[in-house]
Amino acid sequence: MDRGVKDRVLTPVVIAAHELKTPLILLRQLSLGLQDESLDLATRQQLAYQAQLVSERALRLTSDITKAERLEDALFEMEPVSVAGICREVVDELAPLYRACGRSIETKPRRQSLLAVANRDLLRRVVLNFADNALQYSSPDSPVELSYRLCGDSTLRLGVRDYGPALDVKTLDDIENRLSRAEVVKARPHSSGLGLSIVKKFAEAMSSEVGLIRHRDGATFYVDLPLSRQMKLI
Amino acid sequence: MSRVLLIEDDILLGRHFERSLLSAGFEVRTCEHLVGVMDVVDSFGPDVIVTDILLTGSTALPLMNELMSHDDLSKIPVIAITSLADDITLDALRPYGVRAILDKTSIHPNDLPASVRKVLP
Repeated sequence: MDRGVKDRVLTPVVIAAHELKTPLILLRQLSLGLQDESLDLATRQQLAYQAQLVSERALRLTSDITKAERLEDALFEMEPVSVAGICREVVDELAPLYRACGRSIETKPRRQSLLAVANRDLLRRVVLNFADNALQYSSPDSPVELSYRLCGDSTLRLGVRDYGPALDVKTLDDIENRLSRAEVVKARPHSSGLGLSIVKKFAEAMSSEVGLIRHRDGATFYVDLPLSRQMKLI
Repeated sequence: MSRVLLIEDDILLGRHFERSLLSAGFEVRTCEHLVGVMDVVDSFGPDVIVTDILLTGSTALPLMNELMSHDDLSKIPVIAITSLADDITLDALRPYGVRAILDKTSIHPNDLPASVRKVLP
């Protein structure tokens, strides 16, 4: 059985269908829950709000899939982008979903403002994907952290750190190897890795690189971006 | 009151299943992954285990193998609840102690408590 599940052929359509199955299953269950007349009003409102959050999550995925498919035909404006601003936007967008799941997400404050050369929309999507992926791997006690730092003189690393259950070395090796190659990223077992494949495409479109750092108590997914020198002129 | 250990890594879906089991009168403990789950099995003493197949960081198969390796724990009925029901047969999972498979894509809220009652010793 194990082999059967792991070795199925994953075409892009199958992967997309699999990824959309998860929020649709949840939406269906929430809808069925809303039909239960024995539930009190507060619970029903909670279910309706969860349905909204799950729908928004699914819509982000469909938007990313479309964007990724059209990448080759598009021209992207590269500009100096405040990574602190991107971190704040992502935290603001995902905080309601995190709260609904009993989790939290935060960005580490930093005195120095840093700019990366990137496409604002693609970078935002990359970080949203990392942070969305981290939700599944976070624990109630430890917030998922978005942070950035200089790597050498010309690179800015923006990372999303989770403190979830440790993954076995083979799984991490698999993700790491596939992130570095041009193929579908088969991520952690419950996921087809579509999100990470899309992230890789978006990063490549910005001439950036994505990677993974394993920790004893979780993982950091990061994107390395060229540092903008614009601030030095001010 | 019968005890059900629920293992589901989708947090919101897990809460939904938990609610349907609680309202049916079961005592429920929910785990989102397999880390430390054997400790929960020991301390909670579930009468039935309901588990997703593809979990965070693992499949449920290592847990099933572990349960089958203990005389007492191998008797706990397991219900697999999965979105891969099209690809998995009960015959394939029986050696892992699975007594029923529920399809996440078609399950109704009352199906889970009904299945638990059906496999209770």
